[in-house]
Amino acid sequence: MSAPLLAAKHIVKRFPGVVALRDVSFDLQPGEIHALCGENGAGKSTLIKLLSGIHPFGNFEGELQVEGQTVEFRGIADAERAGLAVIYQELALVDELTVAENIFLGAEPRRGWLIDWSRVRREARDLLDRFGVALDPDTPCRQLGVGQKQLVEIVKALRKNSRILILDEPTAALSEHEVQVLLTILRDLRSRGIASVYISHKLEEVFALADRITVVRDGATVFTAPAAETNKAEIIRHMVGRELGELFPRRQHLGLGRRDPLLRVQNLSVADPQTRQTRLTEISFEVAPGEVLGIGGLMGAGRTELLMHIFGAWGRRLSGRVELAGAELPPLPPAEVLRRGLALVSEDRRRYGLILDQSIAFNLSLSALRSLTKAGFIDASAESDHNHDLFRSLRVKAPNMDVPVGKLSGGNQQKVVLGKALMTGPKVVFLDEPTRGIDVGAKLELYELINRLTDHGQAVVLVSSELPELIGMSDRILMLHEGWITGEFSRAEATQELLMQAALGHHVEP
Amino acid sequence: MNNRLGALLAALLAVCLFFVFKVPGFGFVSARNLSLLMVDFSITATLAIGMLLVIIPGHIDLSAGSGVGLIGGISAVLMTNHGWPAGGAMLAGLGAAVVLWWAMGNLIVRERIPAFIITLGGLLVFRGLFWLVIESHTVPISVGGRSNLFAALTTYYLPPIAGYVLAGVIVAVFVFVSLRVRARRLQQGFAITDDEHTFFRLFIAAQLLFLFVIITNQFRGVPLPALILGTVAFSVWLLTQHTPWGRHLYAIGGNEEAALISGIPVERVTIGAFSLMGAIVALTGLMHTAYGGASTTTVGELMELDAVAACVIGGTSLKGGRGSVLGVLFGALIMACLINGLTLMAVPPEIKYIARGAVLIAAVWMDVKLGR
Repeated sequence: MSAPLLAAKHIVKRFPGVVALRDVSFDLQPGEIHALCGENGAGKSTLIKLLSGIHPFGNFEGELQVEGQTVEFRGIADAERAGLAVIYQELALVDELTVAENIFLGAEPRRGWLIDWSRVRREARDLLDRFGVALDPDTPCRQLGVGQKQLVEIVKALRKNSRILILDEPTAALSEHEVQVLLTILRDLRSRGIASVYISHKLEEVFALADRITVVRDGATVFTAPAAETNKAEIIRHMVGRELGELFPRRQHLGLGRRDPLLRVQNLSVADPQTRQTRLTEISFEVAPGEVLGIGGLMGAGRTELLMHIFGAWGRRLSGRVELAGAELPPLPPAEVLRRGLALVSEDRRRYGLILDQSIAFNLSLSALRSLTKAGFIDASAESDHNHDLFRSLRVKAPNMDVPVGKLSGGNQQKVVLGKALMTGPKVVFLDEPTRGIDVGAKLELYELINRLTDHGQAVVLVSSELPELIGMSDRILMLHEGWITGEFSRAEATQELLMQAALGHHVEP
Repeated sequence: MNNRLGALLAALLAVCLFFVFKVPGFGFVSARNLSLLMVDFSITATLAIGMLLVIIPGHIDLSAGSGVGLIGGISAVLMTNHGWPAGGAMLAGLGAAVVLWWAMGNLIVRERIPAFIITLGGLLVFRGLFWLVIESHTVPISVGGRSNLFAALTTYYLPPIAGYVLAGVIVAVFVFVSLRVRARRLQQGFAITDDEHTFFRLFIAAQLLFLFVIITNQFRGVPLPALILGTVAFSVWLLTQHTPWGRHLYAIGGNEEAALISGIPVERVTIGAFSLMGAIVALTGLMHTAYGGASTTTVGELMELDAVAACVIGGTSLKGGRGSVLGVLFGALIMACLINGLTLMAVPPEIKYIARGAVLIAAVWMDVKLGR
């Protein structure tokens, strides 16, 4: 076999406190479509950033080769020069510009000082025709659908004479028809000798398209096989296969006990306020006191939207009813929901959780200030008592509480966000990806905190992308797929294979 | 924070020293000039403290200057042309301002129109309304030299004895409060600053306060605007530092989305800030109009920019989430000294504008350079 077009050899990438990639090796042959599969957080995105030069050479160990030559990408421009182009999930098109303008953005052909607009249009049309994309180059990108934008992105990459396309979850937001158009074009490109790395966890597409499949798990490539010689079951097994070990200290495992549920959700359907499309359909579940309900699903399944909606921070309710501690909870702003005893710890703590410039103390007491006042003024000593209690019991690692939270590590920031929620004395706590991006030690402490909450009879809803965490920490697990519940499992029934099938949209009855 | 205040203090001293020696005959530190400077400063600083309230949650108010003119005009017209009692006319102006600013706050947070646009519109609309109200004439606020409550805003001075008593009471309260805070911190086992340091700080503050009373007493006494400023500054300090509402204001400016998820009624808090700004604009408008003796078309022009400048020089972040009353007072004092000193040096107005702009830019540049 000739030298591969692209090869990664024993790549190791460390972030402060975390090893994102432990050992990644794979290669891409000319004219091949090579699919990379793996769970959220397996290391796929880190790998792409490495290949595209965002994590420059020297920031990782191991070797990258293009056509047998070792390459040292110092930035995106180097990677592009070597013929690599990345089509990202979040598109990099300028909405206000036309298709042609976007295709030539940053490389406009000129005549003297001025842009040669007629050449821009002519060449854009040629490119679109050559790759069979039926779009008018003068259409503003604003008017295109997501799928059409994706095609424009691809044409833009091909304009740079890219020989290697890297597609990161390209079909995540596409309709079925758009998916088919995209697959056809990728196959056509393959026949012209352009190779693709296709990242997706939609196994149907992967098997419909790919020549070879590689599975990434926990930062390492664990399995590679030609698509014809493997099957979905085998791929799923490799995607999830790992030992749970003693990582998850969940003590209490209630069934749906005799006690009245603290939170009851019935036939909840919610629309996205911007697109007006239904994002959550007929969701029903209950959480009992002392119980941890896990909610799993792939990115975009609607988990965060579900929590944010019940908390009053997202979406327009189409139908359904929510009860909190026996009383109806109508759609209310977060301030009201919080007052009634429901707290939320968001998945994006820097955006939704913290006032980064302010101190630990400021953030801890922020949600509970109204209960800490005397005659309208903040009772400074009561406030500092409460803050100190939490600071100590959460074991936030900082010299004192005046340190701005922006300076803390991820795990300690997460403790502050959680502490803020706990100070309001909630009956139900929503935890959205509470352990994302934090180290193992801090994870364990968070799990212990979950145990303590449920020991006190509070209920926890835990959203997580990590199946082992979901199985390890939940008493019951719901799986969502595109806004529907596709499975409900007790802890005893749940296996990673079953959960993954439900996450991929197969209705599963345990 | 203390570093920043130190830098501000140094800047203030530099500006003052420059004028002490540059203004002929030590005119800058004459009792008469310091008293006048105090009135100028009080008016600028009061508006700047209001501005702080809308900048902390990440907004801005460009309409403040026009508002100052408009509210002064409304009260002047009601009193002088329609024979209203001064108190009633002033209350009417105050009420109008609160309603207007409440409405602007609503447009900003509920309709999500940027404050920059709404208040830029306000700047023009209020200026136009102002001229309509006074029919582009000059409306005096005391006819035939007869005094009234409105005019007294800037013509009343505290009798010397009252000035001393007031200073004494303030110092006593400060000593009492800081002793109590120290005792409580000790009792709870927190670190406290050492005795000498605390004593020294209180001592300097008390000295400055008495020096201020002695100097103003040499002219006419403590001017009423200084008292008004003191009250506004203290109230806003209390509101921002010791109430949930104030904390919420900082949280909104720091990260509005996180504030919402933290259960803060973002809309209500922000509208509250704008309403309070309205009241402060009214207060400033009344003082400024009284100071000029009449409501004329130019009252309040560009005052919003001085207020923003005072905030920024005092370390307020225009992105929101950062800023303090004490910083703003320093910022306003630096601006007021600069304008006053340049006027005494008979610098032409063209150069005064350039100097003000240069000081503003230099202050922000230094802030960026020194980092946080």
